[in-house]
Amino acid sequence: MYLPGYYEFYSRVKMIAGHDALEKIPGALSDLHAKKPLIVTDKGVCHAGLIDIVTDAIKNSVTIGAIADDVPQDSDLQIVNRLATLYRENGCDSLIAVGGGSVMDTAKGINIVVSENTDDLMKFSGAGRLKRALKPLIVIPTTAGTGSEATLVAVIADHKRQRKMLFVSYFLVPDAAILDSRMTLSLHPVMTASTAMDALCHAIEAYTCLAKNPLSDSCALAAINLISGNLLKVMRNPGDKDGRLAMATGATLAGMAFSNSMVGMVHTLGHSVGSVCGAPHGMAMSLLLPYGLEYNMHKVDRFIAELLLPLAGSEIFTWTPKHLRAERVIEYVRQLNQGLHEATDGRHARFFKELLDRDGSPMVSKEKLSDIARAALGDGSLFYNPEELDYDDFLMVLEHAWEGVPLDRSRIKKG
Amino acid sequence: MFMPDNYEFICPVKTNSGNRALEHLSFELEALSARKPLIVTDKNVTRRGLIRKMINAFKDSGVTIGIFDSIPDVPDMQLVTELSNIYRNGEHDAIVALGCGSIVDVAKVVNIAVSYNVRILRDLAGDNLIAHPLGPFVLVPTLTGNGYETSKFAFIEDLTFSSYFLMPDLVIVDSRTVKSESVQTTVATTMVALAHATEAYTGPAKNPLADTYAYAAIQYVKENLITVLKKPRDTEGLLALANAASMAGCAFSNMKPGLVHILGETISAMFHIAPGICMGILLPYGMEYTIQMNGYHAYDVLLPLSSFDEYAGTAENLKAGKAVNIMYEMQQDLYTVTGGKIPRTLEEANIPKYMVNDIAEKVFKDGAKEFGVDDYRMVLEHAWEGKPLSWV
Repeated sequence: MYLPGYYEFYSRVKMIAGHDALEKIPGALSDLHAKKPLIVTDKGVCHAGLIDIVTDAIKNSVTIGAIADDVPQDSDLQIVNRLATLYRENGCDSLIAVGGGSVMDTAKGINIVVSENTDDLMKFSGAGRLKRALKPLIVIPTTAGTGSEATLVAVIADHKRQRKMLFVSYFLVPDAAILDSRMTLSLHPVMTASTAMDALCHAIEAYTCLAKNPLSDSCALAAINLISGNLLKVMRNPGDKDGRLAMATGATLAGMAFSNSMVGMVHTLGHSVGSVCGAPHGMAMSLLLPYGLEYNMHKVDRFIAELLLPLAGSEIFTWTPKHLRAERVIEYVRQLNQGLHEATDGRHARFFKELLDRDGSPMVSKEKLSDIARAALGDGSLFYNPEELDYDDFLMVLEHAWEGVPLDRSRIKKG
Repeated sequence: MFMPDNYEFICPVKTNSGNRALEHLSFELEALSARKPLIVTDKNVTRRGLIRKMINAFKDSGVTIGIFDSIPDVPDMQLVTELSNIYRNGEHDAIVALGCGSIVDVAKVVNIAVSYNVRILRDLAGDNLIAHPLGPFVLVPTLTGNGYETSKFAFIEDLTFSSYFLMPDLVIVDSRTVKSESVQTTVATTMVALAHATEAYTGPAKNPLADTYAYAAIQYVKENLITVLKKPRDTEGLLALANAASMAGCAFSNMKPGLVHILGETISAMFHIAPGICMGILLPYGMEYTIQMNGYHAYDVLLPLSSFDEYAGTAENLKAGKAVNIMYEMQQDLYTVTGGKIPRTLEEANIPKYMVNDIAEKVFKDGAKEFGVDDYRMVLEHAWEGKPLSWV
């Protein structure tokens, strides 16, 4: 097992997982000396009936301060400030986030505001700006998922100033993550597919990028095994509780991995496509993943090859000659995307050209690719990618990913 | 991959490992809001020049340190009181344990004492009676551990404290402090780690989270112990073993103790042999036992013990057997590489055969009812004789 010259690993979140994990929340709150949580969520989670399941599980033992269900698609500064006020007005002493990445990031943002008693969240943006523990934060993911329940980052948009602020600190990692299979049983197939591929991407990038370490590797391998082994199962049978719990566990493990080992060019490009064209994060990740692997192959093929075992299982691993395993991984990911494309009646996109919005219009036009490539240059995740990319490299990868054509390897710069 | 129906897991320990890890200490202390650490250690550590190395790492940081280097092998509550006074009078705000074993026990208990009122210390002994986080606690281990260093346990006199708040906030694994002191201590430390990690990985409370720590620990031990014994200055190998020890303590803290741990600790106390040496003898037999029981998960421990190729290419029904073989072979290698210094059987460890029954009964009487007296006796008999369970 690879041992880096120097590494750091930290994953402080307490994991409580099971088919009735929600019922353990009162105990978790009491361990944290918290009595009156603010529940933060969004309308989608509410309409799916998930908040009722949560409140039913805790209302006899916990006084809920308030329930805020109006967090938008991506977390936003105005909402954070408004909900911090709601927190104070209701005398809350803790936060429970029920939802996906945006809800969890919003809760992390609120936590900064109420713990530091500030009126300017942006003062704390960047890395290492928090100096002490925040208020108790419990998160209940409803996708599987972004892994934010285990990460030290929060992304909050300032829509007024048209920018996204990144907050990075170990103090942002939640105190507890509740993985309850009930929370993802009704997750729509398209969301199941894209959030799962987001998680898979986290794990694969954590394993192949420059900051890999033994514990993040361990997390990543387990994550890939769980996600790959259960994704198509839960696509076929969404009510598979065991499968859903396995997916949730995989997503959290992937979050732990990348929280400590960072990510690479797939995220660099995915963030940029998201900010320029509004493409959903998970969808962008899944179709960019094979391209990232192709691009980085000449630098990290030995690590990519190892992933064939957790990804495809013992039989395919054994039957694939060593020198072909890395390529097989790329092939497998493409096949996985194809399978998901079919299982979602074409809504899971395999390339940018076929990525459509709700009204059926293409989300990523060929004309926008140069803007996306330019935006990618400023993304911090690039730092950890095994190979360098400049504007031309980004554009080249994007053009292939738009068309759906495997990368022309002769055009990869070997830095 | 195995998924339990429900599980819980916590590991509040941050790991900093590798080149010049010690140099990060003042920065990390500041992140814990600490500026005046009290370093506790023993004369052995000081004699080996490790205190000097630590002081050098602090040299330009502006941090004021206090040093207490007289922790004995068997500390008592009086020492805890004395150290608590030193801590308070010196207005310290963090404890750094440099070393292993009793040094760490004392550091942990002192941390309780200075975070709570020292008079009620005894009342906090037991399981999860500590309800609040303690003061900052950093561990800088040497390669002389007993497996409890990063764990949630602390022992002093007849008291056992158990709480996640006792786990170190940070463990710093630095090549300068994890040298091999002797064959015995290196093997003992490493085999405790292997036993704890294996029992976490194959036990009834197995879960994917504990597995991540256990998996890495098992791999590092398997890949590095024999090579380090052949080449004691293998810095990277030593670092890997120290990492394994730290990781195993984290996994172990999330499990109930297994058969090998229970038997190993009892034999260790009765015959004054390092726990790791005892557990090293028992491990393959214990593993055979757990394979024979239902509901245990020994087959996939082959993965960290071998390679992806060997694991993937082995039929499911043969995986567990192969893993056990690897354990036996490792035991034999330890014996050979050390010129017979590391016993392979309880007989070679000079334990009289007639004591086997006494050990089994003592273990059972002491409260370890996970397994029956007959089970304990059977494993011990085989481990005494050196006869694998499958031969019956």
